[in-house]
Amino acid sequence: MATVQQEVVLAILAKEPAQGSQLRARLDRALGVLGEAINDGQIYVTLSRLEKAGLVTRGVPGSNDRKVYQPTPAGHVRIAEWLAEVRWPRPDLAEFHLKLIAAARAGLADPLDIVDAQRRELLRRLRDAQRLAMAEPDGSEAGLLLEGIVLRLQADLRWLAACERSWTVRRKS
Amino acid sequence: MGKLLLVYRLGVKDLRHRPAQALLLLLAIAAAAATLTLGIALHGTTDNPYARTRTATNGPDVVAITLNGGANPAGPDAVVAPGGAGGNDHADADGLAPLVNAPGVAAHSGPFPVTWTVLRNGHTTGSAEVEGRSATPSPVDEPKLQHGSWVGPGGVVVEAGFASNFGIHLGDRLTLGGINVDVAGIAVTAAIPAYPNTCTAEGCFLANAVANHNPGLIWATQADTTRIAGLAGPDAYYLNLKLDDPATAAAFAARYNSDTSPTAPYLLTWQQIRDGDAQTLARVRQVLLLGSWLLALLALASVAVLVGGRMAEQTRRVGLVKAVGGTPWLVAVVLMFEHILVALGAAAVGLGAGWLAAPLIDSAGAGLLGAAGAPSLTCATVTSVVAFALTVAIIATLVPAIRAARQSTVAALNDSPRTPRRRELAIRLTSHLPTPLLLGVRIAIRRPRRLLLNALSIAVTTSGLVTVMTYHATSGTWLADPGMTQATTIISAMLIILAAVNATFIAWTTALDTRHTAALARALGATPDQITTGLTAAQLIPALIGALLGIPGGIALYEIPKTSGTTTLPSLLWLVAMVAAILLVIAILSLVPTRIGIRRPVAEALQTETT
Amino acid sequence: MMNDSTDVLLHARSLRKQYGRGEGVVRAVDGVDVEVRRGETVAVMGPSGCGKSTLLHLLGGLDRPDAGEIWLADRRLDTLSERALAHVRRHDVGFVFQAFHLMEELTAQENVEFPALLAGRTPRQARRRAQQLLEQVGLAERAAHLPTALSGGQRQRVAVARALANEPQVLLADEPTGNLDSAATLDVLRLMESLNAAGLTLVIATHDERIAATADRLISMRDGAFVDQTRLTGGTRGTLADLAGLGG
Repeated sequence: MATVQQEVVLAILAKEPAQGSQLRARLDRALGVLGEAINDGQIYVTLSRLEKAGLVTRGVPGSNDRKVYQPTPAGHVRIAEWLAEVRWPRPDLAEFHLKLIAAARAGLADPLDIVDAQRRELLRRLRDAQRLAMAEPDGSEAGLLLEGIVLRLQADLRWLAACERSWTVRRKS
Repeated sequence: MGKLLLVYRLGVKDLRHRPAQALLLLLAIAAAAATLTLGIALHGTTDNPYARTRTATNGPDVVAITLNGGANPAGPDAVVAPGGAGGNDHADADGLAPLVNAPGVAAHSGPFPVTWTVLRNGHTTGSAEVEGRSATPSPVDEPKLQHGSWVGPGGVVVEAGFASNFGIHLGDRLTLGGINVDVAGIAVTAAIPAYPNTCTAEGCFLANAVANHNPGLIWATQADTTRIAGLAGPDAYYLNLKLDDPATAAAFAARYNSDTSPTAPYLLTWQQIRDGDAQTLARVRQVLLLGSWLLALLALASVAVLVGGRMAEQTRRVGLVKAVGGTPWLVAVVLMFEHILVALGAAAVGLGAGWLAAPLIDSAGAGLLGAAGAPSLTCATVTSVVAFALTVAIIATLVPAIRAARQSTVAALNDSPRTPRRRELAIRLTSHLPTPLLLGVRIAIRRPRRLLLNALSIAVTTSGLVTVMTYHATSGTWLADPGMTQATTIISAMLIILAAVNATFIAWTTALDTRHTAALARALGATPDQITTGLTAAQLIPALIGALLGIPGGIALYEIPKTSGTTTLPSLLWLVAMVAAILLVIAILSLVPTRIGIRRPVAEALQTETT
Repeated sequence: MMNDSTDVLLHARSLRKQYGRGEGVVRAVDGVDVEVRRGETVAVMGPSGCGKSTLLHLLGGLDRPDAGEIWLADRRLDTLSERALAHVRRHDVGFVFQAFHLMEELTAQENVEFPALLAGRTPRQARRRAQQLLEQVGLAERAAHLPTALSGGQRQRVAVARALANEPQVLLADEPTGNLDSAATLDVLRLMESLNAAGLTLVIATHDERIAATADRLISMRDGAFVDQTRLTGGTRGTLADLAGLGG
């Protein structure tokens, strides 16, 4: 089940207060097809967590609307901090790398087979991501995201090609 | 000083890198230089065979002629083919009598009877001018025997030029006007220009039996001459005069030539005889000088082709300069220097070859006493030949050198191969042509200069050959002489060889340059036959144009220095045969390297550098 | 959609090609069997020097194998004369090169017309076909430009149009994006996808994963031999969301 980070929801509310359904719409626009993976319930769970943490309030002063959320002053501070962060998603290479070594050492499987299997899978995903990316109109926000996925996959595939070369050499010696 | 040394080093290095091309260039220019040297330094320009002969034979200052039928050659156009003239049959020796004691005359011999007649020597037919002499030596004009002995009953002496040209030898049996005689001797004289110029100084237009053959002189006894002359009697009488002052010969002759009545004698001066003798030499010189200019043009084309060369050459040359941190100007200077060096070498080779070959050209002819040995090369000769060679090299190198200098440093250093210029018209027209021509023309049109040089080369060669052919057609056997034959043969041979070398080089560099494009065309579906046909056709078209231009060019070359007479054009059959032969040779020369190139697999050929 | 019925367009058995002699001999293609069905897009991937270019040259008749057979539809290619092979290259096979190999002095349109003219079409027919193809590759407004006025990606698209001039049965592309930057690669990528969608049979040699991902089937090649063959169908969007970082 896909979720979206708390800060993201918070930041979306910064532009103007919104109900859960409006929030949903804004997310979908930005994520395109990938947004389908996010479930409505998830959004409401996130909103209530934010409320508990004191980063959003429900209701707008001067209105009877109890479904509209907006950030608190603490929430705005948090948004500013988040925007300024340069933390990048952590790559996850170590697990695969160790998988190959373990398989080779223990004689459990041929590391090259593992690499090939992984390459095949990534190539399939690359194909799908690429198709989706090209289906998007030029300049669409979702298209940009898909392009990012494609490029990451490409980078990973290159690393896998390097793994293949390296493990082939190792096998020969 | 350092710059000069640098230029020298780069130039020599560049030359050494392509020795075959440098050698070819040298030979091309040397051929032209040698021909020029020959033309300048021929026997007889610096020594004087006529004078030598005159002294040896005590030649006359004036020769007086009176002709049968009263036709006076003092009229215009004395050089006329023989034909009959009406009037009385007898030549009259009496008309000559007053001259014997005229003021200024120191000595005389004759009058001698002269008749023109048909000569048969074995299977060959010719015509002879028979002069009747006595066994006793003459005070003026005593022909000098080279072989054998003087005239006797049934024994004649043949003039040396005539004998050598006609293949008459001592002891041969001749038939003169139906009378059989033996050749008793061979001699030279200064009283008449030697064969084949015998008829140039005086009219030979009387003898009605001697149509179409250039007569040569034969001495016989008076009795034999009368017999040969037959019932009609001698056609003419010659009187040889020696003057007190040879320098007055012209004035003396003018005095008597003013009388143009039919029975008045016609007087020839020794200068006219000398000039008649010199005609052979003059003709040969003219041919050699003309030939040297034709060869120079060919050499120019060779240089231009070799300098233009292949793109790889130019890029490499620029690379050389780059390595020493030079500018495009330096490239131009180095280019010039290289070719000046080659030109100097060529001049040296040409001078040497010409000097060695000069004695071999029989320009003086056998009919005069020539000097043995090689002619001396004067300072003037050397200077002219060197200047000539340098001019050829500089003119040919000028355009590429300027272009190299103009090229911006950036472009030169980028080593970018020159993109062929877009030829809108050619592209549009060729799309309507069948595939081989489509390919051939589009590929060939990328290097238009090469096409032009090809055409020029063939045009020059064809001109030379057509000039020779026109000469042969016009003069036929009338003016055949060994010197001319040698000169024209040498020049024709050199023209053909140089043109063939040019064509080979063009075909070879074209085949190499077009490898990539040909491979691309093959990758897109052109068959090897289409490519070879196309590329060959592309070479044949400028060759055909060149050959067709060369025909009127050659005729013009013959006409321009000509002063009189009609020109007979060479037969159409010969011209067509020549053009066909040229095209065949060009086709073969183009076909071979192209076919070789086609053998490589397409994938490999596509890797070669683009051009 | 990809049925197993034998509508095999191109196939080769035991292909062998080597260069050099003795110690320095290089087995560029070493006993390769390959089969390409009509309408399929096959990618051959491998490090440089693995022989994929050589393989493509052999399949396209640009070079002759030392051993083995090559069949295109019902015709055997490796025994054809050079002349017959030229006919095959003209009508049955289209080739796209890494270095484009366009004629520099011809406009884009004239470049595309060229094979049609070689095949004997009239200039008018060739022009119409070229315009149509340039339209198809999205370069209709650049028809009158010379190659020097075109970007790398545009040049390669012209080259693709040229390769399609005589409606070949199969298009062979040797590293089509090898000389291109990423933006140009995208252009060519889109083109390859559209050709694939239109049902053209494509064989692409590439080291670019993105190009390879357009294929229906991927062959991995190393040292002249095939090491792997994969069908590239399948995959889910759900896993894509994972890759996007939308994981829980």
